[in-house]
Amino acid sequence: MTTATPLAPVPPAAPSDETAALPLVTVRGLKVAYGDGPLVLDGVDLDLHPGELVALLGSSGSGKSTLMRSLTGFAPVNGGTVRVAGYDLTNLRHGQLRGLRADVGQVFQQFNLVGRLSVLTNVLTGGLHDAGPLNLAGGFTGAHRKRALELLDRVGIAHKAKEQARSLSGGQQQRVAIARALMQRPRLILADEPVASLDPKMSDAVLDLLHDIARQDGIPVLVSLHVLPLALEHSDRIVGLAHGEMLVSAPTAELDAERLGVLYAGDDEDGDDDDAHGA
Amino acid sequence: MTLTAPDAARRRQAERPRLDPRERDRLEHAFRVPRARFMLGVPIALVLLVWSFVGAEFNFAELGEGAANMGEFLSRLFPPTWDKLDVIVDLLIETLQMAIVGTVLGAVLSLVVAFGAASNIAPTWLYYPTRWVMNVIRSLPDLVFALMFVSAVGLGPFAGILAMTIGSIGSIGKVFAEAMESVDDGPVTAMQAVGASRRQVVQYGVLPQAGPLLVSYTLLLFEGNVRGATILGMVGAGGIGLELTTAMKMYDYGHLSAIVICIIVLVTVIDQASAVIRRKIT
Repeated sequence: MTTATPLAPVPPAAPSDETAALPLVTVRGLKVAYGDGPLVLDGVDLDLHPGELVALLGSSGSGKSTLMRSLTGFAPVNGGTVRVAGYDLTNLRHGQLRGLRADVGQVFQQFNLVGRLSVLTNVLTGGLHDAGPLNLAGGFTGAHRKRALELLDRVGIAHKAKEQARSLSGGQQQRVAIARALMQRPRLILADEPVASLDPKMSDAVLDLLHDIARQDGIPVLVSLHVLPLALEHSDRIVGLAHGEMLVSAPTAELDAERLGVLYAGDDEDGDDDDAHGA
Repeated sequence: MTLTAPDAARRRQAERPRLDPRERDRLEHAFRVPRARFMLGVPIALVLLVWSFVGAEFNFAELGEGAANMGEFLSRLFPPTWDKLDVIVDLLIETLQMAIVGTVLGAVLSLVVAFGAASNIAPTWLYYPTRWVMNVIRSLPDLVFALMFVSAVGLGPFAGILAMTIGSIGSIGKVFAEAMESVDDGPVTAMQAVGASRRQVVQYGVLPQAGPLLVSYTLLLFEGNVRGATILGMVGAGGIGLELTTAMKMYDYGHLSAIVICIIVLVTVIDQASAVIRRKIT
């Protein structure tokens, strides 16, 4: 087990044999603060390897969302190093940010679909970065449309392609959001509380889907979760934050609910949710 | 194994923000003495209101005394005379055409300007100048624009259309910008997250959300322009306004009545059609 003494940061766990490839994401000593405020993340280390689903745990205000945002330039990096898919976030050149974001698929708690647009168009927006000149007139190429429909097949809702996104259930909308992320041909997927608005059955289905994507597509998937049993059931590895510091980083097989209790020790009910910051 | 952090927990408990005891006491009472700012604000508002009534010479008694004259004026409007109905219809069509062209041009220009005046889209260096220009345009009455364009391009509907178009930028441009600012941030963030360009973020994240409001405001602009075109005509900027003014000056009350009835019918039809379109798009 890789849990350390309480409140003492731990180094990233070594990857298992299945995920022994070089990490796609390397974070070392990350410090993040919003404006002149206190540090939201303080010396966080993280490695993400191709093909693994890593659950990010921690109570509200622990810094989960901020960590995710700092991987895509939505949160400032005040110290340490962050390398994502070959991009150095502490030293991004002009114009590189869009390239980085195009390489990282993101899934959000509230789905963030454009409700009035069709399911198909929502998926197509995942390909905006390489939509070409046809997109100036609001169009997408036949190849884009074919791929979007294939992805809708993959997530199981191609039959809803023409419907407005807002007419779908929460679970269906999250599947559309995942298809949109896949449309980017991502090298990494970040899912920030993707099942917090879903019922247990739908939560299982969405996490199964994300786990399949990680294994089949060979890309790392980082999922922040609130529910321990879901993390224990669906992840390959768990990293845990408390008050901006990483307290746990270990293969899921070596952890249980009792050992993860350190992440929620002494929680009160008014934790400032770091969701309130940034994008 | 118990991995807890009791010291940290106690520290956070101690640091937890507390409600001011005096504030707590105030909130616990069902009926409480209003705050000083409320006690001071209400009399100030009342004094301001009375001052405005007096300054504007608002007088209910005078209205009562003049009611007989108003009744006499209204009685002269009946019966309407319909012998110049063809002239009225022709001018109403011209008014409608002015309103259509003025609305389309106004809406397009307003949309362009609104991109610069929406704080969630425009950079700061563009936002403030655009807002300032819109404020200047909004502070000038359409009649001033109409007189300006009549002197520039002569009498006729063209001057009226130009006046409506420019006037729209100040009013509708502002509400367009505010409609864009009020969209849900989620889809906008999602578009930024997929690596979309600024134009694509607006095209796919902002406009689809603001669309129903933009169409609704455009219909409102159209309704306003139909009414506005009748006023612009009074300064020679085309439409039925000039005929309306002439009928009033010539004391041709029957004709005046027919014009007013036709305007009411046109505005009502447009209003109903707009309501149907609004229902369809929202």
